Amino acid sequence: METVVLQSLSKTYSGGKLAVRQVSLSLNQGEVFGFLGPNGAGKTTTVKLLNGMLSPTEGSCQVLGINPAKEPEKVHRVSGVLTEHAQMYDNMTGTQNLIFYASLFDIPSREARSRTESLLKRLGLENAGAKKLSAYSTGMRQRLSLARALIHQPRVLFLDEPTSGLDPESAQNVNQLIRDLAYREGITVFLCTHQLRYAQEICTRYGLIEDGTMLAEGTLEELRHDVLSDTVLKIRAEIMPAILPFRKSGENQYELDIHSDSEIPHLVRQIVEGGGDVYDVTAQKPSLEDIYFALTAKGKGEAM
Amino acid sequence: MTDNKHLFASLLIVPLVLTIVLPSTFLVMIHFAPDDPDIQRLLDLLPQSMQTKGLEQGLAELVLNFMLPVFFLIIPIMSASIMAASSFVGEKEKRTLETLLYCPLSVRQIFRAKVLASFLLSMMVSFISFCTMMVVLELEAGILMGMVLIPSISWLVILLLLAPSISLIAVTLIVRRSAKAQSVEESQQSAVFLVIPVILLVVGQSTGLLLVSAWILLAFGLVCTLLAWVLLKTCMGKFTYETLLQ
Repeated sequence: METVVLQSLSKTYSGGKLAVRQVSLSLNQGEVFGFLGPNGAGKTTTVKLLNGMLSPTEGSCQVLGINPAKEPEKVHRVSGVLTEHAQMYDNMTGTQNLIFYASLFDIPSREARSRTESLLKRLGLENAGAKKLSAYSTGMRQRLSLARALIHQPRVLFLDEPTSGLDPESAQNVNQLIRDLAYREGITVFLCTHQLRYAQEICTRYGLIEDGTMLAEGTLEELRHDVLSDTVLKIRAEIMPAILPFRKSGENQYELDIHSDSEIPHLVRQIVEGGGDVYDVTAQKPSLEDIYFALTAKGKGEAM
Repeated sequence: MTDNKHLFASLLIVPLVLTIVLPSTFLVMIHFAPDDPDIQRLLDLLPQSMQTKGLEQGLAELVLNFMLPVFFLIIPIMSASIMAASSFVGEKEKRTLETLLYCPLSVRQIFRAKVLASFLLSMMVSFISFCTMMVVLELEAGILMGMVLIPSISWLVILLLLAPSISLIAVTLIVRRSAKAQSVEESQQSAVFLVIPVILLVVGQSTGLLLVSAWILLAFGLVCTLLAWVLLKTCMGKFTYETLLQ
């Protein structure tokens, strides 16, 4: 089932800045979609368009069949948003904040209390619920914001840099929560980040955006197929036969770009037959980062 | 918490000065230095009904019913501005406004709730200020001069018509600015313009150029109410998520 749909979505700000240009996308239920790009690429603008905070200049979008530009309140009922610009009240405690936001979603107070408790526990904040927000660290605020975004059990979750400010342990905890929400509860996650390695850990599909334009979209395999299919074969060996096209990358370290894994056995055999001792063989597939840099380099090359 | 303390301190200081310090100073001055020929001339300008009373009583009621009402108007303007600024721009500054906008509330609902809250608080501060002022003045008049001061009908017009409408005008002016203002102080500046006509009234009153009667106050109140209504209507239609988040 398609949960989030963008059709040739464009946004030009009143100052004339084109923030999002003709973006088309479609997300399925239970997907963790990584919307990736550098700061100022148009990620946050897209989230705002999908929540009706901005109205599109061209094109349209839908969240669970609702048009956010026309019925933003209905979209807010089914979606949760986490962004660094949406903070909570410093003079209230964590629990008070969550219960206040629950009341805005018409959640009965008893239900709100039990959801608050379970979310605080799930995010490792059970001891911080009674503390005022002014005493919270950046990481605690971020986790409480995630709890706030989840208080009304949304079907779609928009997360803008969800792990920024988190220590490695809480980041891992949050990642596990996001995975659980998507796989077990079927929540669609639209995750914006500029941290490509992080995205590769958690997302099932990716969209790469730069200067408001989508550069590519697909699963990691699809992106590798479309953009950068070369695998780098890394071999640690003593004595490398000179006839083989390997380049030396360090002491006893050699590298070669190959197009298919099927080339590996033949190459290894040639090294061994040529008198080399092989200690380690690694076929390194392009990471999301490699793909992104290949894409942006291509864009720049074409522009020149 | 410190922010709240700051807010309440600013909400309290001006009413305290205007309803306790200033009226008490006037009364004490009347009691201890009434023999000025200029004051007698001012008293001669007053309606006949007021001149029949004793000099002290006449002067005290002149202060209560002609001078203090104009000063008093600063209270609703100020408290409405402080509340409106902290509830709109303050939320924007602390980045809590966007969180509210992501809740299933329409901009109109948020707008209404905030205007209503600022308005009600301003009214509460005004009424409490008036009551405190009357208690303090009656006590002082009773102890110092052994008399009872009677507030005129002007006070009714001020409390029920002028203070509410002028509060609403202050709130809407602040809210109009709040879309563009990035700090609470910046947005409060717009309400300063409201204080100017009030200051002119104060000057007019104290120099005897203009003696504002209940009728003039009533007319002034009706104009303000109309203005408040028009401002509120145009303001409400103008707001969208986009303008609020600029």
